[in-house]
Amino acid sequence: MTTSRFYPLLRLDALNSFVVLAIALFSALTIIYSLKFIKEKRLQYYTYIILTAFASIGVVLANNLILLLVFWGFLGLTLYLLVSMGQGSTDAAKKTLIIVGGSDALMLLGVAIIYFLTDTFYLDAIRLEFNSSLAVISYICIALACFAKAGAIPLHTWIPDAAKSAPAPVAAFLPASLDKLLGIYLLARLNLDLFTMNTAMNTFLMVIGAVTIITAVMMALVQHNLKRLLGYHAVSQVGYMVLGIGTGNPIGIAGGIFHMLNHAVYKSCLFFTAGNIEYRAKTSELDELGGLAKLMPVTYISCLVASFSISGVPPFNGFFSKWMIYQGLVTQLQSADYRIQAINILCLAAAMFGSGLTLASFMKLIHAAFLGQPNNALIRRSLQGGHKDEVPFSMWLPPLILAVICVVFGVFAYQIPLRVFIFPAVPGVDFIGTWFAGLSTLLIASGLVLGLFIFRSRGLGSFIRQDAAFMGCEPEDLDKHRITGIEFYNTIKEYGILKGIYQKAESGVYDIYEQVKKVLSGAGRFLQYLHNGVLPSYLIWALLGMIGLFLILMKG
Amino acid sequence: MKDVNIIPLFVIIPLLTAFLIALLGKTIKNFSEKIIVASSSLLLAFSLYSQILLRHTPLKTLVYNVGGWLPPFGISMVLDGLSSFMLIVVNLIAFFVAVYSLSYMEKYTDKPKFFTLFALMVSGLNGVIVTGDIFNLFVFLEIASIASYALVAFGTQAEELEASFKYTIMGTVASSFIFLGIVFLYGFASTLNMAHMASVLNSKLSIWLLPFVSVLFLAGFSLKAAMVPFHGWLPDAHSSAPASISAMLSGVLIKTLGIYAMMRIFFNVLGITQAQLSILMFLGSLSIITGAILAFSQWDFKRLLAYSTISQVGYIVLGLGLGTPLGIFGALFHLFNHSVFKSLLFLNSGAVDYAASTRDLRETGGLNKVMPVTTKTNFIASMSISGIPPFSGFFSKLIIIFACIQKGHIGYGLCAVIGSILTLIYFMKLQKFVFLGELKDKFKQIAEVPYLMRFSMICLAAICILAGFLLLPALRPFLDRASDVLLGGTNYAAAVMGAALR
Repeated sequence: MTTSRFYPLLRLDALNSFVVLAIALFSALTIIYSLKFIKEKRLQYYTYIILTAFASIGVVLANNLILLLVFWGFLGLTLYLLVSMGQGSTDAAKKTLIIVGGSDALMLLGVAIIYFLTDTFYLDAIRLEFNSSLAVISYICIALACFAKAGAIPLHTWIPDAAKSAPAPVAAFLPASLDKLLGIYLLARLNLDLFTMNTAMNTFLMVIGAVTIITAVMMALVQHNLKRLLGYHAVSQVGYMVLGIGTGNPIGIAGGIFHMLNHAVYKSCLFFTAGNIEYRAKTSELDELGGLAKLMPVTYISCLVASFSISGVPPFNGFFSKWMIYQGLVTQLQSADYRIQAINILCLAAAMFGSGLTLASFMKLIHAAFLGQPNNALIRRSLQGGHKDEVPFSMWLPPLILAVICVVFGVFAYQIPLRVFIFPAVPGVDFIGTWFAGLSTLLIASGLVLGLFIFRSRGLGSFIRQDAAFMGCEPEDLDKHRITGIEFYNTIKEYGILKGIYQKAESGVYDIYEQVKKVLSGAGRFLQYLHNGVLPSYLIWALLGMIGLFLILMKG
Repeated sequence: MKDVNIIPLFVIIPLLTAFLIALLGKTIKNFSEKIIVASSSLLLAFSLYSQILLRHTPLKTLVYNVGGWLPPFGISMVLDGLSSFMLIVVNLIAFFVAVYSLSYMEKYTDKPKFFTLFALMVSGLNGVIVTGDIFNLFVFLEIASIASYALVAFGTQAEELEASFKYTIMGTVASSFIFLGIVFLYGFASTLNMAHMASVLNSKLSIWLLPFVSVLFLAGFSLKAAMVPFHGWLPDAHSSAPASISAMLSGVLIKTLGIYAMMRIFFNVLGITQAQLSILMFLGSLSIITGAILAFSQWDFKRLLAYSTISQVGYIVLGLGLGTPLGIFGALFHLFNHSVFKSLLFLNSGAVDYAASTRDLRETGGLNKVMPVTTKTNFIASMSISGIPPFSGFFSKLIIIFACIQKGHIGYGLCAVIGSILTLIYFMKLQKFVFLGELKDKFKQIAEVPYLMRFSMICLAAICILAGFLLLPALRPFLDRASDVLLGGTNYAAAVMGAALR
């Protein structure tokens, strides 16, 4: 092993080297994308982007906890500054910094406890057992900071808001890719290197992961805003990563880390395409979109690939990493304790169900944005023009590159990402099921080609008759009865228990941020009631305080 | 000039300034402005020079014997690491506040009177810091307090007068406690020289006196430092005063009269006990949380900042109460940082008030479009006070939290962390309601504040960014020398006696 001059401060190993590569890739793509997208305050914007990239690499390479803490906290600041560049993003930016910055303070506490227990700041010298409550507290503090950064329950609530209000490349850059990479990287580092995990802590992680998957995807189903919907998926997918890492066996952890990488790829791609849509249609409300597939074919293809990928459709990369996580869970089923088995089965069910719901909500997205009929004057005018109206080159290239990566990482999963990046980081991965990615892809592709062939040659088209629409014997304008896609799945809001839950979710009952605000203003009102501005009462407090001092100090 | 001769200058220069302004300020045009800037820059230069002096002094202590009378008979003035540190804090802030006031005080009448009181307050603060005589300490404390009572009432509106009245009453109560404590100590030790008193108290035992006196001092100085539950006067006083004076009050006055005097007497003269340390820790944590919650519920810019002062001073006291080298180091570092960013925040509130004529958070909004400089300086100060790296506040809070954990006080560490989160929350609220959002029509015409005010704010903001470098080995002696004095405890006596006789 060669030692660099920076050694005790910075360290490069198998786990962080590919994260650095990914950060560099996403920074480059984001900058390319932003060239045309960002039109004002360019100097500030690029300064913040580059500072963010720099600090992220700092976090990943840091081998000193204090250094890590400084870079980590600094990222919260740049995140705030970037989010607040969006239109009307004041509240979202505020919420973002409060949640992320607040969790940084918790992380500080965790780091302080680790230092107290081990007397060292160097990550490679720390190895803690969960044999005292202090160790548990420190783990939870740092894990919460990871959850806040990556966006797992209960600290995820900033992501949908920030994703909606931030400029699209920022959403693609930070909440979608970099923050996931960093949060999950640190979590993996905690679990693999800093702490020796035990069953209880692993179960804790798995439950967090499973709950995150389900709740976030249920919220995603009913969203009406494209970027907000993607934001909820950004939360939901974190659940898979946490779940994978929580399984505690090599294949699960490898799956979690691979999923982190994959997620960064496809979610960035999705946010870039959302940015393209917003750039053309000047809105990201699903209600007003539609019919963009003809207009922006490249964007459509990229978005479609990324949607399949996130929904876990083979042979794309999202499927592969989810499949590894499932294997991790199945391996865990061999555990002797029946309670662990039960939790595993529940988590497995949640993960698979979540995957299905993800597909469902992406069908809604694809329909509402790219298919269907538009309700937007801008899009209609372009459609009537009859020609393609793709976004500028620098804006369709980054999502296309990412879509290609989605395919490559899925088809050649063993050959490229796993062999080069993941296996060196997590030794001892043992597949219990086999998936011949190449063969399957071949079969899927040939099936599709065959289908196309049948469609073309036998002329299925002849069975399809297109005619004007009638209602009550009157011809009807189809555009008036357009199916926007936002009504999809709205009925789940009406089902018994779910009804109440959705109502509460929409009024922020499950949002820790809103709850803290409520508690604080309650406490504030009480204290303000005490501070009545009357001098004698202030004097009485001082007197009482002094009596207290007398009682304590004169006792001995 | 002999080295020790600069010590009395810290009192003489501002006192002379006050005298001259009172005498000539009305007759000569712009006299008060010129002389106040001259004197405060001179004081700043001298305080920085005192650091260089100390580096070359063997015991790290310089003593000036007033009238050539040696202690314990004469009055001595002491310059050691701690007083030099405090002098820099006070005179740094005083300089920037003086420059800021040149423009800001245009909206009040009678600048000469303002600067007279201001110089008087600075001389009181410097006097408290350099004196080595406990009765002198009381006198200077009263000079600074009385000047500040008058300054709080400077606007002479009903609100200001009421605040000043409350402040006067509670300040006087505090002074009486402190005075009573000094009387008891004098009766027991028969000396007023602090160094001599420390050595007498070391040799002469009394069962009841020290605890009794320490209660009086703790209550008195807690009132001056506005620790919960002794804080009732602070929000009114700090929010009613002219902004530049609020900056002085929050930035340096309560730290000098409350924290510094308490540190000096408890650590160096009485010798602090574990019970007292625990009380300090408790009061500190209580102040952190209570102040932060109250700050969150405020809708007045300056009142929010005033409650935030209570909360932040809690950090300083918590760090001191730990009594460990790391804790004291962190407390002093936070003291320095807090002086800088809280003065800056008050100056920003003054700038908003100056431009928009309101401090109500519900009325302002969107000011980032018309006041870009104030927005940026306020953002830097807010991030610094909320403990976001790489600004200064992050490092001092980090040290204090580490010190808490190091001593095994997880609960207090958690309090500090929660306080930090709450601080972030209410400063984000401030940021949102003052500078972000929609700009109202009535504020479309307002302009950024004059350049002298901007100058002070920008310089202080730069210090907020750069203060983290004080932790570098080359600059650490600045803080180390100050914390060494406190850690040395009653060795203070030997150091001062040794330096006086040399």
